Amino acid sequence: MSEDVVRHALGELPVPDEAGAAERAWDVVAAAFASRERVQWTRRHRGLVIAFAAATLVAAAVLVALLTPPGQAVVDRVRDAVGREPSEPALVRLPAPGRLLVVSEDGPWVVLEDGSKRLLGDYDDASWSPTGLYVVASEGRHLVALEPENGDVRWSLARDEPVRDPRWSGGGLDTRIAYRAGSTLHVVAGDGSPDAAVAQDVAPVAPAWKADTHVLAYAERNGRVHVVDVDARRQLERTRRLSGIRKLAFSPEGMLVVLTQRQARLYRGGTARGIGIRVDRAHSLLDAIVLRAGEVVYADYDPKADNTTIVLAHDFGRTTSVLLPPLEIFKGPREVESFSVSPNGQWLAAGWPEANQFLFFRLPHGRVAAVSNVTREFSPGTTDGAFPRIGGWAPGP
Amino acid sequence: MRGAQAGSASDLEALFRHHWPRAYRAAYLVVHDGAAAEDIAQEAFVAAVRSLHTFDRRRPFGPWLHRIVVNRAIDWTRARSLRREVGGEQLDAASAPPARGPEDLGAETMTALWSLSPDHRAVVVLRYLLDYSPGEIAELLELPRGTVNSRLRRALDTLQERIARQRS
Repeated sequence: MSEDVVRHALGELPVPDEAGAAERAWDVVAAAFASRERVQWTRRHRGLVIAFAAATLVAAAVLVALLTPPGQAVVDRVRDAVGREPSEPALVRLPAPGRLLVVSEDGPWVVLEDGSKRLLGDYDDASWSPTGLYVVASEGRHLVALEPENGDVRWSLARDEPVRDPRWSGGGLDTRIAYRAGSTLHVVAGDGSPDAAVAQDVAPVAPAWKADTHVLAYAERNGRVHVVDVDARRQLERTRRLSGIRKLAFSPEGMLVVLTQRQARLYRGGTARGIGIRVDRAHSLLDAIVLRAGEVVYADYDPKADNTTIVLAHDFGRTTSVLLPPLEIFKGPREVESFSVSPNGQWLAAGWPEANQFLFFRLPHGRVAAVSNVTREFSPGTTDGAFPRIGGWAPGP
Repeated sequence: MRGAQAGSASDLEALFRHHWPRAYRAAYLVVHDGAAAEDIAQEAFVAAVRSLHTFDRRRPFGPWLHRIVVNRAIDWTRARSLRREVGGEQLDAASAPPARGPEDLGAETMTALWSLSPDHRAVVVLRYLLDYSPGEIAELLELPRGTVNSRLRRALDTLQERIARQRS
């Protein structure tokens, strides 16, 4: 094979919409550059900025003290500091195609792209089936599979102990649902039978499926995380003991991700220790979600400052580092929670209880769209309901 | 680069216009998906913008950009295959017209290229599109030089074999 032939072919092959792609990319790059320039200007004129900011803060503090309650003033100041656009007063549309599952005190709601919502019933917890055809929910000692359009029950099963954390996986008609009943981990087929106990003495952490497979990760109370093939009833991996496990997940490449109090660790197959991200010793890692290869978004809570920073980090779990600096995409008071990524991978949703808002971040640049009055929206008729949790973002029907 | 670091948008645009075509083409040749290639190349430039103030001007910009583009393209392709997304690649390959003569050598080469693994495609693209030496490729991909050489050899052999098979 002649090298010249290959060289010529690679250089001459038509690539799709080359000019259009360049223009679209330039718009984004120029916007990124413009926003960087504003930051750079503030760096170059730091003294002037500090003086101006101090004067502004004093004036703002006086104004705020006159006009608003103190707690609201803190929230407003930080909102301005992060440069967020004004929030929408209600969730009138989703920023990306798909359906959002929101679990409130009243039960799980399905929010369509146009903002219309449907309450599926009085259930405690819920999650999507792999393609969003169904929702699996738990209520007391019952596990139920529901139609997301109307909440109709497809099937249900009862257990002796309270049912928690149902999670659905698999492809086509061959699906599995894992859930905890007390301290026992069960797996049931997607049609409701048969049901089998997979492990005893599991930790109160939701199990996680590797996408499109019947490979499941769960945490034992002793701190070990196990990865098992539930069909073959075979253990594939086991971590060493970890303390404070908060969440299990799989990366888009199918690697195990374990979140603990201060770390997000990614395990390649056969690796005992894992590699990952660690926040400051005094901080907490509230949530993390692995995006496309090499990228992770995590929420770093600083208890001393009582605020959370959401960071987009590159090179998570890579062996070849491209040395990109982490990008801070948000900073706000108190805590944020329940990350979920849109089906097209372009938006990240998060809950911000302190501000009673859902936040939607455009990835990877971090533009924020916020929606206020979330508690009232998902617990209508109440003023002091619990803040709802984002349960997942599925493709459109 | 110097002008862009000093804040000149027109210098940044010149830098972008100079490097975009090959970055986008390289991403496309590895991922074989126009939208993904656009995202990958675009994100590489955005990353470059974010890191402008720390960039060492004594080092060339191209290799730095290409390292990001090709590594991300490899990751994207691996992730897609792991998610079993059967899409454009197979359909495109299946619907490509059969090659009839020397004038179709480019199409034959491309069809054969996309039958290689992403790792092999990446070294081929770095070597024959972006003109890096095996030593430079080894550095960009953080691989031993011997691995790069063997991947290049194997890739060329496979291309030859696939093209012969297409013709027969």
